[in-house]
Amino acid sequence: MYKKEVRGILVEGNKTYGQITRDITMPLYAKTPLWWYIAASVSSIAILVGVWGIYTTVSTGIGTWGVNNNVAWGWGIINFVWWVGIGHAGTAFSIFLLILRQKWRTSINRAAEAMTVVAVICAGMFPMLHMGRIWNAFFILPYWNTRGPLWDNFNSPLFWDVVAISTYLMASAVFWFIGMIPDFATIRDNTTSKVKKRVYGFLSFGWIGNARGWLRFETASLLLGGLAAPLVVAVHSIVSMDFATSVMPGWHTTIFPPYFVVGAIFSGFGMVLTLMIIVRKVFKFQDFVTQSHFDAIARILTFISLIMATAYTTELFIAWYSGAEYEMFTFMKNRVTGDYTMAFWTMVTCNAIIPQLFWFKKIRKNITIVFIISIFINIGMWFERYVIVVTSLSKDFLPSSWATYSPTHVEIAIFVGTLGIFLMGVLMFFRYIPMIAISEVKGILKKTSK
Amino acid sequence: MQTTNIIGVYDDEDVLLNAIHQVQDKGIKVKDVYTPFPIHGVFEALKLKTRLPLATFIYGVIGVIIIFSFLYWTSVVSYPLKFGGKPLNSLSFIIIMFVATIFVATFLTFMTFFIREKLGPGKKAQVIDPRSTDDKFLIIIEKEEQMTKQEIEIIKNALKESGASEINEAEQEITENH
Repeated sequence: MYKKEVRGILVEGNKTYGQITRDITMPLYAKTPLWWYIAASVSSIAILVGVWGIYTTVSTGIGTWGVNNNVAWGWGIINFVWWVGIGHAGTAFSIFLLILRQKWRTSINRAAEAMTVVAVICAGMFPMLHMGRIWNAFFILPYWNTRGPLWDNFNSPLFWDVVAISTYLMASAVFWFIGMIPDFATIRDNTTSKVKKRVYGFLSFGWIGNARGWLRFETASLLLGGLAAPLVVAVHSIVSMDFATSVMPGWHTTIFPPYFVVGAIFSGFGMVLTLMIIVRKVFKFQDFVTQSHFDAIARILTFISLIMATAYTTELFIAWYSGAEYEMFTFMKNRVTGDYTMAFWTMVTCNAIIPQLFWFKKIRKNITIVFIISIFINIGMWFERYVIVVTSLSKDFLPSSWATYSPTHVEIAIFVGTLGIFLMGVLMFFRYIPMIAISEVKGILKKTSK
Repeated sequence: MQTTNIIGVYDDEDVLLNAIHQVQDKGIKVKDVYTPFPIHGVFEALKLKTRLPLATFIYGVIGVIIIFSFLYWTSVVSYPLKFGGKPLNSLSFIIIMFVATIFVATFLTFMTFFIREKLGPGKKAQVIDPRSTDDKFLIIIEKEEQMTKQEIEIIKNALKESGASEINEAEQEITENH
């Protein structure tokens, strides 16, 4: 199946199987480095800030946010969509590349999946908080109640969201965990520490790596992958339908589902790039995460960036071509020009223009520049959601109901809090879980090493 | 109950694959093969098959039926309420059916994987050789009671000839192998 050598060397340093085990598990045995404690403290502070924001929101109410009757969705929904988008990386990596049988996924998928799980948890918090009375959140579940029983509105995209996000969280967590079982077994059999042997032994579920076990493992991964691939597409399509099924100018377009899915994968890959460059540098995984990996991701990002550019252009063109004056106003007077010009052009620059630098091999090879571009992509994708959410709501059909929006410190605090949760989750992952799928790297070693 | 196994330890996946074929050609029954990572040739050599895809398909079908029945019952029978001028049994149910079916199928597939594989939190692993999750490949041949010393010698020789770096014997608690 893998006949062509497109990707180059994926494992460098002429490793043996034993070396791979030791190299990847080394950070788990080593003393916790100082920077880890520093980063953990920073993220703890961020989490505390977030806890304050959440406490204020829950105890006082949504009135503490900058949202108003017109711009009813502010940072809460922007950040929700942003986090869900980042959460698409794990699935994009593990699942699309698994189904496409791309070998270069093996050193990156574990980290991407870990990121997914934490990002989706962060995302899930925002709609819950946005409900205002969070203690009534269980109303969203279709349960037998004394009001009829009155069921949910199963035609509502907001309910679809609940189903989709919870399914996505479950599926990606399961996929992540099953993938880790053989690696936990490896640690169990190789560690000398009694505590580690017990803990990882517990987590390894009694895995021994016999032939039948591996066959079932491979089949189960492929099946879960096959199920999760349409799920990823569905999840972000549904998120886009939160917007697209309304009649707001700028939202009511059929391009939204594909545009959101592609955007999500774009931001997911961007975040993976950011994270993997740090992991590679800090843990000296240069042999496993090679230039070829970054090259492959950068090429994909170039392509997706072109799709994003096409989507932006199409939206503008259709706004004009449709002849709908409200559409035209939102796009031309409230995005391209007007109060939110900055946000719009940041979005275009970061998502459609800057990633085009990846056309040059020199830039793809310079890890520092790749890192900077990946940060730009994360920022650009945040602004995309900002542009979509705020510009349409702030100036809709009636000038009498126009309003401006700016976030309060409570909203900012909650966002900072989720950044803290994300960072903390990633740090815990660095410390206690093998960052690269050991058994999968061994599986590709013979054909792709040097 | 316990049984004794003869274990051939190999260092390389290609040697292992050849060895399985060589040993099998001599009429020796290979009980199991332990590897640090999945090797497709091994599945074929041992003629292993799994019905997991069929199970997943059945879960999917059951999932669709249950979810559609629930949506239909709540919206048409239990509390018929018009939303946005759509029919009670609305086409947009497809979205929930699609996603919730994936939920059901994914969840049950991974439960099935754990149950069939007899894996569970805290289960004690029956490790035959701890190196088999690191860098060694094991061929396990069961030492049956009626085997003569000669037969055992033949087995050990066959393993040695096929490139085993070590040949060990180890006791193992019998679990039902499926």
